[in-house]
Amino acid sequence: MKRVLFWIAVILIFGLCLKGCVKKDIPEKYSENILSGNIENILYPDKNKNVEINGVEYLQSQAPVGKFGGQIVVSAIGEGPKTFNPCNTKDATSASMAGLLYDGLLTTEPVTGEVIPLLAKSFEIRGNEYVIYLRKGIKWTDGTPITAEDVIYTYKDIVYAGLGNTATRDAMMIKGKLPELLKLDDYTIKFITPEPFAPFLRQLTYPIVPKHYFKPYSDKGDSVFNAFLNPDTPPKQIVSSGAFKLKEYVPAQRVVFERNSDYYKVNLDNKKLPYLDKLIYLIVGDTNNEILKFEAGEIDVLSLRGSNVARYKIKEANSNYKIYNLGADNGTLFLVINLGNRKNKEGKWNVSPIKQNWFRNRDFRTAVDWAVDRDGMIKNIAQGVAEPLFTAEGLSSIYLNKEIKGHPKDKNVSKASLEKAGFKLDNGILYDNKGNRVEFDLYTNAGSIDRESIGVMIKQDLEELGMKVNFKPIEFNSLVNKLSNTQDWDMAIMGLTGSPLEPHDGKNVWMSNGPLHLFNQRPQNYQKDDRFDWEIELDNIFEEGALKLSYKDRKPIYDKYQTIIYNEKPIIYLYSPIRITAIRKKIQNIFPSKLSGLLYNIDEIYVEKEEDK
Amino acid sequence: MKLWRYIAKRLLQTVPLLIIVSLISFFIIRLSPIDPLAELRLNPSISQETLDKEIKRLNLDKPIGIQYLSWAKAFIKGDFGYTSAGEKVSTKLKERIPNTLLLTLVVIFMTWSVGIPLGIISAYKKESAFDRLLTVTASIGMAIPSFFFAILMLIFAVKTGWFPVGGLTSYNFNDMSFGNKCVDIIKHLVLPSFVLFTISLSGLQRQMRANMLEVMDSDYIKFARAKGLSEFKVVFKHALRNAVNPMITLLGFEFAGLLSGAALTEYVFQYPGLGRLILEAVMKSDINLVMASLMMGTIMLITGNLIADILLMITDPRIRGVNNGIV
Repeated sequence: MKRVLFWIAVILIFGLCLKGCVKKDIPEKYSENILSGNIENILYPDKNKNVEINGVEYLQSQAPVGKFGGQIVVSAIGEGPKTFNPCNTKDATSASMAGLLYDGLLTTEPVTGEVIPLLAKSFEIRGNEYVIYLRKGIKWTDGTPITAEDVIYTYKDIVYAGLGNTATRDAMMIKGKLPELLKLDDYTIKFITPEPFAPFLRQLTYPIVPKHYFKPYSDKGDSVFNAFLNPDTPPKQIVSSGAFKLKEYVPAQRVVFERNSDYYKVNLDNKKLPYLDKLIYLIVGDTNNEILKFEAGEIDVLSLRGSNVARYKIKEANSNYKIYNLGADNGTLFLVINLGNRKNKEGKWNVSPIKQNWFRNRDFRTAVDWAVDRDGMIKNIAQGVAEPLFTAEGLSSIYLNKEIKGHPKDKNVSKASLEKAGFKLDNGILYDNKGNRVEFDLYTNAGSIDRESIGVMIKQDLEELGMKVNFKPIEFNSLVNKLSNTQDWDMAIMGLTGSPLEPHDGKNVWMSNGPLHLFNQRPQNYQKDDRFDWEIELDNIFEEGALKLSYKDRKPIYDKYQTIIYNEKPIIYLYSPIRITAIRKKIQNIFPSKLSGLLYNIDEIYVEKEEDK
Repeated sequence: MKLWRYIAKRLLQTVPLLIIVSLISFFIIRLSPIDPLAELRLNPSISQETLDKEIKRLNLDKPIGIQYLSWAKAFIKGDFGYTSAGEKVSTKLKERIPNTLLLTLVVIFMTWSVGIPLGIISAYKKESAFDRLLTVTASIGMAIPSFFFAILMLIFAVKTGWFPVGGLTSYNFNDMSFGNKCVDIIKHLVLPSFVLFTISLSGLQRQMRANMLEVMDSDYIKFARAKGLSEFKVVFKHALRNAVNPMITLLGFEFAGLLSGAALTEYVFQYPGLGRLILEAVMKSDINLVMASLMMGTIMLITGNLIADILLMITDPRIRGVNNGIV
């Protein structure tokens, strides 16, 4: 008897302990203000000015004067930078770190998105001529002056020569020709484009590199140049121009940048920026580790997603961080349908002709679009921290077509358009007009919880219409191989990054011969013209849009491309997560912007020292 | 002399083994549908030309047999090639090997110096309360998956703030004095090595206990006891010597695991070791890196076994006596 009592007591105690551990659901009332922390009412400082001090033409920040010293620690997810060569970056981490080291002639205004001078003092546009004036008296970190020679070298010997990542060269190429480049004097250069070309100005944000340091390597060709400035380079050797210099790189652990004490930007007291002594990137493998590091106080900035937002919101009041809502992410998340009607090299259909009849039918795609429950996805998958997406341009794009309002889920519309296309519903099973059962595969990359959940929801939504969907999450690499090489897929859930400023960057996706024309990928050097009418229209739009110069002229053109895609639905857009970022309160001069995020003005940011509080 | 001939023979046997291992792993990796350029292909701002350049640089345009031959030729010359990101494989490995060695050596030292005595005690005091306690803890240690335990430990670090959350050094490591540097590294090592220690301790301790029990039951121990030898002599001079032989073979395998044994734990703790590097390389089909590490693992395994066998020859007179009796 005693024994029995003992065990009951043990079980009770154990159970009570467990109960204490179970986390209670977050009360409903908190969910409303999950999305607060909006940044609509932020007062931004005036634009930077040019000032001359002792014959040196500095850039003057108009942000409030801060305190020098201190450091901030941020995180870089993944494996860390693969190169510090700004001309050869192919991934986001390398690009942002190399971007800290090397400034471009021009840069993007962080709030409005227009192009403004950075390394250049000013620029003039006369028709198809672009004259750039450089700052006099500014220097590379080794003391050599920055002159027109460096600019000419960067463009002629690196960009035009096709060294490293050739994206900029491709973007500058106008009808097969590159802009002419002239040196007017030591501090003035002129670009002449073959014809007016809108995306050109933004290409001048390309980082300028020191000729005396890069030339010995660029002369030896691509393979030597690609290995140049790889992460083993001793940091002391690196000659750069940016606000920060590389201090050390510890593989798989961290990258430490230190202040460039001779940077050409000054504050309102004419003292040289940046304020921070050090900027440290901790390399973390995944987001879970990032969250732990933020909680332990090891990093100062954390981007939050989905379920974490509510939790951090609740704790915000008694914490040392502040949460900003930076608006919708500009990446897109979508369901893409394979409209291809080609055979592979062995003569087998990539997509069987029966399925081609469905997928190439706009009514079928419309039915799919109307059946997809975006609101449900946002509620269940993104935990409310997202907005529905219907356009090819991301929600933060300045070219977003606001006329496209989207629609809620409506099964009746889907059924009507399926009927119109000759599909028949029999006993809850959908057959096409030839009596074939509608059944296809839906792929996404395994491991991404969001996408897998979306897949499950889409499968359910489509099965309500009587379709049979075989949902197959596969390895990311295999999925990409299917999409870009073998093309034996039916539908896929994917995402792409996008530029909020320049829709022309999407040309690889939208132009019919683009290498990323996912929904109707043509093999390389494909000769036959089998474009849909609307594909021809898209080709024309992207050619025309690039040749128009002003935003006013371009907007209607790119509005049209979004309308076409919305109507034709080769890609069905789903939702955009809202970016929510937590940052420690001690970090000052933060002017969050929807376009550029939180830390774009890293040279103006300073740290309030603990003892001042 | 016999020993030398034996070693030479064993070394010669490794050559075909290495070739087979390299062939199998190379083809499995290359035939898997992993595309090393997948990320680039999905980047809207990467042009076809850049892609073509990458394909050429990584030799992806050549038939797989040629790819293997060119890899093998370079490997024999001692050139491990470049990673898919363009860094030298040898430098990448050199960066990571010391970190992994540090972690695994610490763990092996800890487990062996604790596990063997515990095994002996629990065998000697069979069925005692202490033995049962050890059995329970060992079961727990064996049952907990390493990654889960590692995550628990990370949460512990976050909640208490006593230990850093992963990594090997703090960000201001280079500005520290030598003493502080050591403290810093030790602080970072505590949690990952504790996880690995707990997990491998249980196995080792159980193994030692079983060996010891077997020996303690044998006739010659009974005889030694009957002869009136002291318990100390019975246990340490007669029983232990025989019980420890299988452990030496085990040590050989541990040697092989030195460089690759802790990938999961390394990943969770963001420890900059070889395991994490290889895991990431396999995911991306970074062939040169994967091959170099696989070959290294194979060589370590062979060497480990060889060392264990030689040690056995030294400790166990029976093996020494029989001519070429070792397999």
